[in-house]
Amino acid sequence: MKEFAPLIGSFWYLLRGAGMTVLMAASAVAPATLLGILLALLQVFGGGPLRSAILGYLFLIRGIPLLVLLTFVYYLLPLTGIDLPPFWGVVLVISLYYAAFISEVFRAGILSLPQAQWDAARSLGMSRRLMLRIVVLPQALRLAAPPYVSLCVSLVKATSLVSIVGLWELTMASREVVERTLAPFQIFIGAAAIYFCICYTLALYGRHLERRVLLGH
Amino acid sequence: MAGTLNDASSSAIELLPARQQRPILEITALHKRFGAVEVLRDVSLAVTPGEVVVVIGPSGSGKTTLLRCINLLEEYESGTIAIDGEPIGYRIEAETGRRLRMREREIAAARARIGMVFQSYNLFPHMNVLQNITAAPVRVKRIARRQAEARARELLAMVGLSDKVAEYPIRLSGGQQQRVAIARALAMDPKIMLFDEITSALDPELVGEVLAAMQQLAGDGMTMVVVTHEMSFARDIADRIVFMDAGIIVEEGKPDHLLFAPQSERVRAFLKRYNDRYRI
Repeated sequence: MKEFAPLIGSFWYLLRGAGMTVLMAASAVAPATLLGILLALLQVFGGGPLRSAILGYLFLIRGIPLLVLLTFVYYLLPLTGIDLPPFWGVVLVISLYYAAFISEVFRAGILSLPQAQWDAARSLGMSRRLMLRIVVLPQALRLAAPPYVSLCVSLVKATSLVSIVGLWELTMASREVVERTLAPFQIFIGAAAIYFCICYTLALYGRHLERRVLLGH
Repeated sequence: MAGTLNDASSSAIELLPARQQRPILEITALHKRFGAVEVLRDVSLAVTPGEVVVVIGPSGSGKTTLLRCINLLEEYESGTIAIDGEPIGYRIEAETGRRLRMREREIAAARARIGMVFQSYNLFPHMNVLQNITAAPVRVKRIARRQAEARARELLAMVGLSDKVAEYPIRLSGGQQQRVAIARALAMDPKIMLFDEITSALDPELVGEVLAAMQQLAGDGMTMVVVTHEMSFARDIADRIVFMDAGIIVEEGKPDHLLFAPQSERVRAFLKRYNDRYRI
């Protein structure tokens, strides 16, 4: 066990980094989800020009690596004179990036709802807004839940990229410790284990949610 | 109870026999096309309160489309449809004579007065039976939840499903789901009920329970337009049978006339084919 002394000695430090990772991911996941659902709704129900604009956004975002976007915004933001703390700048980029993917997942959920459900809701005199709220969205969200949870897991892992623009979180903390201890193997095993625990918990929780909502089904 | 289903209109009929002549549903010169295909060609049909009209005809004859036009689940190119004297779907602009689609809100209000039951039940899978039935009365008609639930239980008793109040649709058989769908439509207190081949997706042994529910409804005086392939049921329940083919009404009449002494060759051929196939 002597080999793992560097990891044990710095474990609390890594956990603090993990705390930052979770904070960053949690800050990004809510806006990403809300924006994703909004984009999905606008894409399905919005007018032509709006739809094209959103489509353009999706293609743009999906065609650029997150790392490139992060770096770009890191250098661009100061030039525009927008004074955003780096943490929130990064959260913004991750939110915008994942919103694009999340919107596709929700759009698929909405579109995969059978026409018959719309017919039934309309035949009962429901307004469009009401049927969206009580018939379409509850079912679309359920259909979208599994790929959505995957995206959330992916988002957590994507926060490791922000160390490249100097933000401190689990990956950055690990690199610092490695520089001090010269034990990259042990430290990154620790970091990997922590990432895994966070993501595994998230995935399990997703499963639990799915099962709970599907059981009633 | 079941007998109160359509009390208001049936007592009005007794008091004012003249009113019975005024159609509750009036379709005039309806035209509808899907692209190049004309699905409905000049269809006119009037249904009086309490009347049960059964629409029969070969697949693709436009029966289902006709039904779906009535509550505007399908748009149509020309013609008018009125429920209780009020046009629904489109109105003609006075100055220009242009035909305008009504606002979504007006159309929704009209749909709320028309009950519809579908071939594939279309219950909301994420709601239990009670929620399925009360969702629209509570949210669309703004009926107090307690009152809506009491009414839902009455309707469930009528269709023989009192013990399924808290069940989710997936746990019900097709016949049970279809009866819930009937209760759901009735919970809006519709002026007229539309049935679109509602037994076609059912196992033969489940058909009877659904037909029985419809029969009871007809007995209670509900105005109904029924699209079906169940000929013997049509004969039993219909006040009038309408035969459609290729988008037009070929012939209509009392069940015994139309089924046993049809005037047109087309109806005779259809019935002969049907009889050859289903004779045991």
